[in-house]
Amino acid sequence: MTTLEAPTRRRTKPKQSLGREDRNPRRWIFTIVIGIIAILINVPLLNAILVSFKPDGEIARNPIGLPQNATLDHYANVLYASGYDFPKFFLNSGMIAVGTVLLVLVIAVPATYAIVRLGFGGRWIIDGASGLRLLPAIFFVVPFFILFSNLGLQDSVPGLILANTFLNLPLAIILLAAGLRDIPKEVEEAASVDGAGVFRTLHSIVLPMLASTIVAVSVLVFIFTWNDYLFALVLSSSNATPVTLGASNFVTSTGIRWGDISAASFLSTIPPLLFAVFAQRYLVSGLSAGAVKG
Amino acid sequence: MASTFVRQKKHGASLILSAPLIIFAALFVAYPLVSGTMTAFTSKSLLDPTDTFNGVDNFVSLFTKPAFLNAAGFTLSFAAIVVLCEMVLGFGLALLFDRKFPGKKLFFTLTLLPIMIAPALLGIMFRLLLNEDIGAIPAILQSFGLSVSLFSPSSVVPLLVVLDILQWTPFTFLIIYAGLQSFPKELLEASAVDGATFLRQLWHVVLPVLKPVLFAAFFLRAIDAIRTFDVIYVLTAGGPGTSTTTLSIFIYKVAFEQGDFGKAAAASVVVLICLLPFVPFIVKRIASSGMEGK
Repeated sequence: MTTLEAPTRRRTKPKQSLGREDRNPRRWIFTIVIGIIAILINVPLLNAILVSFKPDGEIARNPIGLPQNATLDHYANVLYASGYDFPKFFLNSGMIAVGTVLLVLVIAVPATYAIVRLGFGGRWIIDGASGLRLLPAIFFVVPFFILFSNLGLQDSVPGLILANTFLNLPLAIILLAAGLRDIPKEVEEAASVDGAGVFRTLHSIVLPMLASTIVAVSVLVFIFTWNDYLFALVLSSSNATPVTLGASNFVTSTGIRWGDISAASFLSTIPPLLFAVFAQRYLVSGLSAGAVKG
Repeated sequence: MASTFVRQKKHGASLILSAPLIIFAALFVAYPLVSGTMTAFTSKSLLDPTDTFNGVDNFVSLFTKPAFLNAAGFTLSFAAIVVLCEMVLGFGLALLFDRKFPGKKLFFTLTLLPIMIAPALLGIMFRLLLNEDIGAIPAILQSFGLSVSLFSPSSVVPLLVVLDILQWTPFTFLIIYAGLQSFPKELLEASAVDGATFLRQLWHVVLPVLKPVLFAAFFLRAIDAIRTFDVIYVLTAGGPGTSTTTLSIFIYKVAFEQGDFGKAAAASVVVLICLLPFVPFIVKRIASSGMEGK
């Protein structure tokens, strides 16, 4: 009996057994199938990485295989050798993304606290934020262009920080509100009884407890801002050009230098990819909470 | 007395805490909404920035020429196809992932990478992959004796559909997979004991419980698909002809290639009015699904 029972239990309740399960050959079928899918959807990225290491002559001659005479020339070209503005684009993207994260937090954290805990504005600000996130960004492109031209913010890093703050504030407020509601109110009430004012409570009690939500918001806002293209296309022309726009300019303005283009586009995806690998926990929680909580 | 004092103090504090949000929202949300709507009734252009009222001329011109309606038709059918495919594939992938197998962590990270890559940069990577002279895909097709011109009018739309699916199936996968993790596994075990087949379980147990999550994934993707801009603009700029012009590309081109701000604003207003009725509905559904999840 016992010898018969053991394998059946293992098959019907896979969640409950650990190490032994991995040796089951059927598990490897999933490894193979899912592995193929995971690699397949990353073919564009993998291909760009391969091309970026091929010398110019080899790119057309050997479109499928691994680089035969691997070279770092394209990276040298992109970073310093060929007089591209790529380092400047990269720096712009970094400044715009970090600036946006800071501005979003400065605006959203205190306001969300006032909305959720002090009852400011009631439910409609959160609903408004959720609604705003659903509206097409393209609507705001023409008014932003006109407004920024009038304010002298056209083609400037502060201008793009403001535009991306606009794009990301709704998600930040939604996530922070959800995070705040998960924190027990009693701690703050105790602090208030002990005589701590609103600002002190916010600073020394709420902020530390909200830290993981704040990290999740920062990671998401950084990535979304780094990846923005539409507003960069409309609101920047040369001084404030970020990598998304700069890398696509390579395609048209410098003839077709595929090796340099692939090196530039791979380098430009590194910051978001690093977050995807090292801050995955926050990304997953942020994206899925942003999807279902409101 | 004391309590009104506290309430007043709280009211003052929430005003101070919300002040940055109020100022930002007034300048960069309310003002662009109003000025964008007003621009729709003028002949404002890139060259003539004065507001000359021209009534509903812009709207008449939109609906009497085919370009706008064609863009709307293309956008809706494109969005419908890609979102449907991404929901089915994302769901399937989530089911595949919902077990233990060797290499799961690595493949999970790999599967999420496409979400993190800027769509504009992914567009460049697609160009690299699909280019007739140096691309890996045409080279592979040729080795099978197939010479397909991928960007010809007949194959460009299916191509864009495949590329969108490649990039965004990971998103629906992530949302659905997160939902599956909080799925009460006892339900499955109970129905397995009752002798239900896998498909019956899926239809009668899994789908009903996951409905709110599926709903959230569907609508977030649909909203994003309707405003698609980056990848298509980088790859085809809406061509050949206007065959892949989405609403976002149409509005962008009217505003910044034809320089007709009034007409672009009018198109934006029409899109906004068409989407607006869905917003409260989606906000309510997504918010309530969050409650159920807790």
